[in-house]
Amino acid sequence: MAEKTVQIRIKRQASPQEGPRWEEFEIPYRPGMNVIVALRDIAERPVTVEGKSTSIVSYDANCLEEICGACAMIINGRPRQACTALIDKLEQPITLEPLSKFPIVRDLQVNRQRLFEDLKKVKAWIPIDGTYDLGPGPRESPEVQQEAYPLSNCISCGNCLEVCPQYNDHTTFVGAAVISQVRLFNLHPTGRMNEGERLEALAAPGGIQDCSYAQNCVKICPKGIPLTESIAAMGRAVIKHTVKKALGK
Amino acid sequence: MATATAETRAASHSHSFFWRRLHSITGVLPLGAFLIEHFASNAAVLSRHPRQNYGEQVKFLNGLPFVLALEILCIYVPLAFHGLYGLWITKQSEPNALRFSWWGNWAYTWQRISGIIVLAFILWHTWTARFSGVSLPDHPFQSFAKMQAMMANNWIFAWFIIGITTVCYHFAYGLFLFVAKWGIAIGNTARRYWTYACWIIFLVLAYAGLASALVFRNHWIYPIR
Ligand code: SF4
Ligand code: FES
Repeated sequence: MAEKTVQIRIKRQASPQEGPRWEEFEIPYRPGMNVIVALRDIAERPVTVEGKSTSIVSYDANCLEEICGACAMIINGRPRQACTALIDKLEQPITLEPLSKFPIVRDLQVNRQRLFEDLKKVKAWIPIDGTYDLGPGPRESPEVQQEAYPLSNCISCGNCLEVCPQYNDHTTFVGAAVISQVRLFNLHPTGRMNEGERLEALAAPGGIQDCSYAQNCVKICPKGIPLTESIAAMGRAVIKHTVKKALGK
Repeated sequence: MATATAETRAASHSHSFFWRRLHSITGVLPLGAFLIEHFASNAAVLSRHPRQNYGEQVKFLNGLPFVLALEILCIYVPLAFHGLYGLWITKQSEPNALRFSWWGNWAYTWQRISGIIVLAFILWHTWTARFSGVSLPDHPFQSFAKMQAMMANNWIFAWFIIGITTVCYHFAYGLFLFVAKWGIAIGNTARRYWTYACWIIFLVLAYAGLASALVFRNHWIYPIR
């Protein structure tokens, strides 16, 4: 009996300047393998199906347990994390493409800087550093914990941006993940102290107003984050804050 | 992809928060409110004496105090803004419903397509009904005959059906979006129920609009004069 194999088609691009091309690989099947394992196997013997030896496929990956976000790519047409994409559950030939909303670096590797810059814009952190000990912060109620926990699962993978029709080159839209992070940090008892700054960042150009509520983000998020709920909640918070400020309160 | 610089990303102009929210609210008030009023007035033809009652409606509306100012401030100005800014927004979008065909994505895509159709329809409808042919403010009781004559043409009648249905969709889904974007219904359950409510609003409005339009085609009972 012939050995069981896995067919993979990969959209490759040697550099941002060069055009993309497709390469096809066939590698031996191993039980339980995922897309990252397959990419590693290809790296061990980078030879295409036609027997042509080629360069190693470039991709990002880190944690291998869907927690760092780095390995997002388009697998069989859908953006998702490669490390949790089990070969057994994928239709073959498996197609791998880089995320299309970020500038390409090489092959499956993209530059997700725009997302990180946008997280900085909204100050998606809790400022606790100072020149002296500020003492313990206020306590967080179990209700708030319940609301915040799912939001804290965001891995900044960018899948929600890939499917968003509003996240593109025409807009500076920050996207669902960033809006949801504002909700997370504004829920935190210490984070709340910078609530206004974050909401103002969401009313700035590229802010929450660019959302047209296609609701794709919530469908694709690998962490099941209630993104449409976050957008609605922040929609209310931003308008409230903006009106209050305009009225000088 | 991913080549534009922040400066060239035109949709994200300054004060876009204000303009986007204004765009959202003008669709509900005054435009949505006017749509309901317009359909309610037209429903006057769903009575035993449509010719007479329709004429009375047109006469009543044109007899309102400051009618011209009302017309300009509550209809033409918001309509021009909502339509033009809507086109601008549409230009910045990259619809992908064929690739990701979830219902919300289709609804998003249709909101844009219907917006363009509705804008074309309203421009045509305003021109033909209000600014050309028999002047309705001067001859309100000619209204019924004017619309009858127009809709006697099968193509025009089909265009009315398309216009009425798309405007109802655009308004009903716009109401859903309004409630979601302004954070009036935040929870998933609340938004789901509001979705159902919007579908009902769509059906009721479309029914009223289409039923009224059909009366103008009923030449057997109401011969064209
Ligand atoms: S919200 Fe979900 S899809 Fe978006 S970046 Fe975070 S984990 Fe990824
Ligand atoms: S490698 Fe970290 S999420 Fe896949």
